[in-house]
Amino acid sequence: VAVKDNIHVQGEISTCGSRFLKSYRAPFDATVIRLLEAEDALIIGKTNMDEFAMGSSTENSAWHLTKNPWDLRCSPGGSSGGSAAAVAARLCPISLGSDTGGSIRQPASLCGIVGFKPTYGRVSRYGLVAFASSLDQIGPFTHNVADNALMMEILGRHCPLDSTSSSAPPGDYLKTMQKEIRGMTIGVPWHFLEQLQSEPRAIFCQAIETCKNLGANIVDIRLDLLKYSVAIYYILATAEASTNLARFDGVRYGKRSSRAATLDEIYDFSKQEGFGPEVKRRILLGTFVLSAGFQDAFYKKAQKVRSLVIQQFKEAFGSCQIVAMPTSPMTTFPLGEIKDPLQMYLQDIFTIGANMAGLPAISVPCGFSADHLPFGLQLIAPQMQDATVYQFAHAFEKAIGFSHRIPPLFDDEVRL
Amino acid sequence: MREISYESWEPVIGLEIHVQLNTKSKLFSSAPNRFGDEPNTNIGIVDTGQPGSLPVLNKEAVHKAVQLGCALGAQVALSSRFDRKSYFYPDSPRNFQITQFDAPIIVGGSVVAEVGGTTRHFAVHHAHLEDDAGMLKHFSTFAGVDYNRAGVPLIEIVSEPCMHSPKEASAYAMAVKAIMQYIDASDCNMEEGSLRIDVNVSVRKIGERKLRKKIEIKNLNSFHYMELAIEAEVRRQIQLYSAHPHEDPANVLKSGTYRFDVEKKETFLMREKEEAEDYRYFPEPDLPPISLTKEEIERVRSSLPELPHQRFKRYVTEYLLPVGSASLLINEKRLADYFEEALAVCNNPKNVCNWVTVEFIGRFRDRGNLLDSGILASHIGKLVQLIDKGTITGKIAKSVADEMFSHPGKDPEQIVRDNSDYQPIRDTSSIEPLVDEVLAANPQSVADFKAGKGRAFDYLVGQVMKLCKGKASPSIVNELLTKKLL
Repeated sequence: VAVKDNIHVQGEISTCGSRFLKSYRAPFDATVIRLLEAEDALIIGKTNMDEFAMGSSTENSAWHLTKNPWDLRCSPGGSSGGSAAAVAARLCPISLGSDTGGSIRQPASLCGIVGFKPTYGRVSRYGLVAFASSLDQIGPFTHNVADNALMMEILGRHCPLDSTSSSAPPGDYLKTMQKEIRGMTIGVPWHFLEQLQSEPRAIFCQAIETCKNLGANIVDIRLDLLKYSVAIYYILATAEASTNLARFDGVRYGKRSSRAATLDEIYDFSKQEGFGPEVKRRILLGTFVLSAGFQDAFYKKAQKVRSLVIQQFKEAFGSCQIVAMPTSPMTTFPLGEIKDPLQMYLQDIFTIGANMAGLPAISVPCGFSADHLPFGLQLIAPQMQDATVYQFAHAFEKAIGFSHRIPPLFDDEVRL
Repeated sequence: MREISYESWEPVIGLEIHVQLNTKSKLFSSAPNRFGDEPNTNIGIVDTGQPGSLPVLNKEAVHKAVQLGCALGAQVALSSRFDRKSYFYPDSPRNFQITQFDAPIIVGGSVVAEVGGTTRHFAVHHAHLEDDAGMLKHFSTFAGVDYNRAGVPLIEIVSEPCMHSPKEASAYAMAVKAIMQYIDASDCNMEEGSLRIDVNVSVRKIGERKLRKKIEIKNLNSFHYMELAIEAEVRRQIQLYSAHPHEDPANVLKSGTYRFDVEKKETFLMREKEEAEDYRYFPEPDLPPISLTKEEIERVRSSLPELPHQRFKRYVTEYLLPVGSASLLINEKRLADYFEEALAVCNNPKNVCNWVTVEFIGRFRDRGNLLDSGILASHIGKLVQLIDKGTITGKIAKSVADEMFSHPGKDPEQIVRDNSDYQPIRDTSSIEPLVDEVLAANPQSVADFKAGKGRAFDYLVGQVMKLCKGKASPSIVNELLTKKLL
């Protein structure tokens, strides 16, 4: 198992992709590591990521560029790009990522593998370096749905060290996923998907056709509030992040600037030298939206919209068991191509909703573009219905079999 | 007690009292909650703000908060929650404090206290749970941080601005301290900082309804200094307003945080409020709301121990103790317990109270204190019993008490046995000549007594006692005098 570098393995360095934590050794094991090791899993290494999980291309890592195994000129997505690329390139069968706004599902989609974000509270966050505490979830990357479901039976156990950890036991995912989906209903927010470009749209429609052929009913649902999701995400997530990252001040651990002579200089220079531009941007934004005089207009209003999004998902699930959407608006993109942060933020337009509402969601490979780049189907279920996600994903995977596709560069049979 | 007059002015005082709860572990971690250990030994990943650590709420702290809520007769919230309060300071391990800003666990309620012989109810606005910060230690070339205190559970009790004199403020604060001790929620040791008081003070013209600008006095570490500080601040504000009679009151006083200079007996400005700090409060996402059921709260309410004002009532109505002495006893739970322990040996509440509160506490006026002296409560009980039985005189008892003071733990019975001077003269033949001498020397008093003046008898007893240096058994002196005068 490869582990995203914001998850603590005791005694190992957790950089979180940041200069600030260049030599920070984790003083304890994350709960997920403890659970995996109790099952004799082998932790083989830490994987690259956007600094503090802030990004959608892994280009915000302070350390390295991670490349997409399907096309080395392209991004693996992010922020868990290292974990996704490692599994796609068959360097390991399983890896762990964290998903705050799509950071597991989007790279899974761009790397042609299975990535799952559990119900909020399903997997303990103890030992995960927090980005936005009310949105963060750890989840597995795997080659196929069955491996993923098996992982969640281990990772999903209750943890008393995380007060938001669910006390209900994890489901019997491997068994439940075997059930067929005939007669069940899939909701598709067609209106919200209007902006989709023609190729991704065609691949998505083909996936829906596959579901129909499996006997599922397709209904149109309304999730138009999701058009605000990127905006409210960048208020709520940055607000929480601005406080979560406040501890990186150069006083107790991590980077302390050698130029600093006074307390204020320790604060100023350590952050200046320790954080990259995207992290600085988000800390500033988060601090601003919580400030007196602006909190009502930004943070509090965003909280209200979040409640409405939760409500709208609830209503949608009144007429369907699962919601289907693309995972990302497009296939992977060349490294260095997206320079405008706002353009990059739109990578998460389809994934943020599940974080806002704490819903379980998966990305399964569902097709390839003309230039042979993978594309994922996202399936979202109501809270605590993680098993339903696996049931639909497994049925779909069985029907199309894309999970067996290996990037040619890394396929021994192709190369030999 | 005389209230200080401020003429046409009325002080308005509100108190914020921070009390450290005496839980075994910290508010959000399993590190021990203990004072006085080597720096940075009672710490864990939560207390030093390690990335990846998460807070887990201490149930014992919640229980103690619920007890306090019930003791105050307050509304204990069925659902309350925590917020993050952001500020940068090295003693704050995460650079945000976890506190309750919007939805505190205790709302309303009141504190019952005795002020100048009347029972008063002071209104509480709310009380909330939060974690304490670490402590900065300054050395000659650097400063260090001790995180042992970081994460210690605090309950902050915020009063309404309902007090109008320094005496009221200290009576309220002492009552809060007593309540916390009675429900065993804190040791309230002010020297060690487990009870800290911030005072908000403003003044207004009597009859004015609106509150004027207030200032805050921080870091007061004794009730006495608190009274002095309030007194000085009230005087300062009255003087300030009186010196600017034509100006808008809003422009006269600079609100801000003040400190009290003990030497000069003056308050001085620490930092102005104009650049009000923005703490950017928002709900703590790592902790779910505290949910309580009505049944849980009722269980706590019905199992509350006797509270200070209930004990006060018992002492005054059942033991007939003077109000002042009863207040003194109940305000310090250990002292009241000590008193009752002595009472178990000698069931004479008035005398035991007098010996405990006047004689013995008086001997510790300059240094030390009775409760930690090693003098057993049961020994004080025995001493009073010796007096009551007429074994020793009050005068000898004082000498015995002196010896109990210099040799803590020594049994008064033993002290009396060991010293022949302390054994009263019960031998009639050696007392009788003294009685005769007194009667002969005081014909006027004898005449007065015969004319029906009872006080003359007491005087004669006194004279005999003086002659024998207090060593004659009072009952025998009485007996002889009565016989001879009739």
